Amino acid sequence: MRLKRAVWLTCATLFVLTGCARPGSSKPQIAFITNNAADFWTIARKGVEKAAAELPDVTVEFRLGDGTAADQKRIVDDLLAKGITGIAISPVDPANQTAMLDEAAQRAVVFTQDSDAPGSKRECYVGTDNVAAGRQAGALLKEALPQGGKIALFVGKLDARNAQERMQGIKEAIAGTAITILDTRTDDTDQVRAKANVAEMLVAHPEVAALVGLWSYNGPAILNAARDAGKIGQVKIITFDEDDETLAGVKAGAIVGTVVQQPFEFGYQSMTRLAKVVKGDRSAIPPSRLIFIPTMVIRQSTVDDFQSKLRQLRGR
Amino acid sequence: MKKELATFLLLVVLCAIVTALNPRFLSPANLQNTARLIGAFGIFSLGLGLVIITGGIDLSVGSAFALLGVLLSIMLTRWHLPWPAAVLVVVALGALLGAGHGLLITRLRLQPFIVTLCGLLLYRGLARFIADDETKGFGDAAGFHVLQRLATGSVAGVPTPFVALVVVSAAMWVLLHRSVYGRYLFATGRNEVAARYSGVNVRRVIVSAYVILGVLTGVSAIIFAFYTNSVSPSSHGSFFELYGIAAAVLGGCSLRGGDGSIVGILLGATLLQVLQNLVNLLGIPSSLNFAVMGGVILVGVVGDQVLQRRATRVGAA
Repeated sequence: MRLKRAVWLTCATLFVLTGCARPGSSKPQIAFITNNAADFWTIARKGVEKAAAELPDVTVEFRLGDGTAADQKRIVDDLLAKGITGIAISPVDPANQTAMLDEAAQRAVVFTQDSDAPGSKRECYVGTDNVAAGRQAGALLKEALPQGGKIALFVGKLDARNAQERMQGIKEAIAGTAITILDTRTDDTDQVRAKANVAEMLVAHPEVAALVGLWSYNGPAILNAARDAGKIGQVKIITFDEDDETLAGVKAGAIVGTVVQQPFEFGYQSMTRLAKVVKGDRSAIPPSRLIFIPTMVIRQSTVDDFQSKLRQLRGR
Repeated sequence: MKKELATFLLLVVLCAIVTALNPRFLSPANLQNTARLIGAFGIFSLGLGLVIITGGIDLSVGSAFALLGVLLSIMLTRWHLPWPAAVLVVVALGALLGAGHGLLITRLRLQPFIVTLCGLLLYRGLARFIADDETKGFGDAAGFHVLQRLATGSVAGVPTPFVALVVVSAAMWVLLHRSVYGRYLFATGRNEVAARYSGVNVRRVIVSAYVILGVLTGVSAIIFAFYTNSVSPSSHGSFFELYGIAAAVLGGCSLRGGDGSIVGILLGATLLQVLQNLVNLLGIPSSLNFAVMGGVILVGVVGDQVLQRRATRVGAA
């Protein structure tokens, strides 16, 4: 009898408590969600923190994904349950996450950053025009190989939209020249595989004239493999993003140039604009609903300047 | 013996086919590259084989690589410890983690799968937390050039990881096949209860197997960290334990325990690296990398089963 009463009382209390639960704080909450935990996002985080400091009336959160669409869905679901009013997400698999993004768009303002999902109900995209970035890399190739030659591309996954767009840009830029793409090797973000792919490419095709790394860690992998094979200087290297080793390679002249994005601006601009929209000011979204943050080409002549700016941004 | 023979034949046939299709497979540069990777993957595969022989498993090896790699980078580039000390700490820590697994498995009677699965999650999380999710590198190896050369250099044209593998294999062969400890290991794996009743200190045998794996994990961690010259805590070494398990199983280790050989594990590790190498050399699309590995291994294993069954049928008749 006493047990029954205790159980009934507990259930009633819990019922009442859940009913009395406040739906979160009254401040609007926005979140920045990445696709994985690469170094690239540590810079974006600084941009998000700067925006958070300028937005005292908004709660700003930063969430790292683990590289899978499943994890991103979990993060988004948890945030929506918490009462998030806006998210800026870099979808891992835009084509297949459209449904998830549309669902989220019903309950919060959805921005995409770094990787777009144009088929979804996202309000705005803040990020790199990856095709234009690819064209910049292609221009570097034309500069490095005026007589043409065979090149090889290296990337983590070929089904990533940014990889496909960069390749498209490169192909557009080298069309009509004597530069041909031998092969594209993928490594599934296994950096040991990334370096082994380059080493084996240099063995299988000693005539390869240039190596292009499309993702941030491909740069150091190519650099290390070329160094081990004694091919620095003989083979031209073009990379993306600003890994420390990549910049060291540019400085030493081993890398022709690297195309860098501005992840700081991804973080800063997406959060400040999202905050405006969440508070009701839709002027922060341009009619095209695209905010392209320009990429820059960093060569030996500009790398020192860039490195010091980067150190400032990272707060080191 | 039979299983190793099958793997050996598969390896020889594969090498012959690849050489015929692309003679650069036997070029010194390619042999060196592949030998380097065989050395790196083979060292911890031997330890994993030992653990599998006791009837256990270790899923945390890959995450341990990330954790130990991050710590190595911090010790060398931030704290500027002398490199012998850093190496000792990494190997000792690996042994400690192994001892931890062994104790949880033997004292608390927990399943090795669960204990090391928790290890896989825990060490990865710790690595990311300690590194603050940033890639830790070794830069230009200021102050530890010797260590970098030891981990990534060559001795008379033979990559140092391969040399290390040869030394470790010799030691392990004596340990497993010519010592009393080896007998105890097989006995424990075959039938733990019978071994205990025969007077074998089963607990000590199992814990020591995990400790040996821990030591070898530490050594491999240093080699991998210097191979890529950087450690990305969220992805470094991801799923590498599967390579070790596959190498052991291909080499004749039964996942039920009690069976296996050093030669077999070495052949298994070699086979896996040759398969990855041939995907690149023959220009097979990278997307088929794992498909090729899985397909060839399946063919080998099925062929081995068929041959064994035929042998027993002939024997019975």
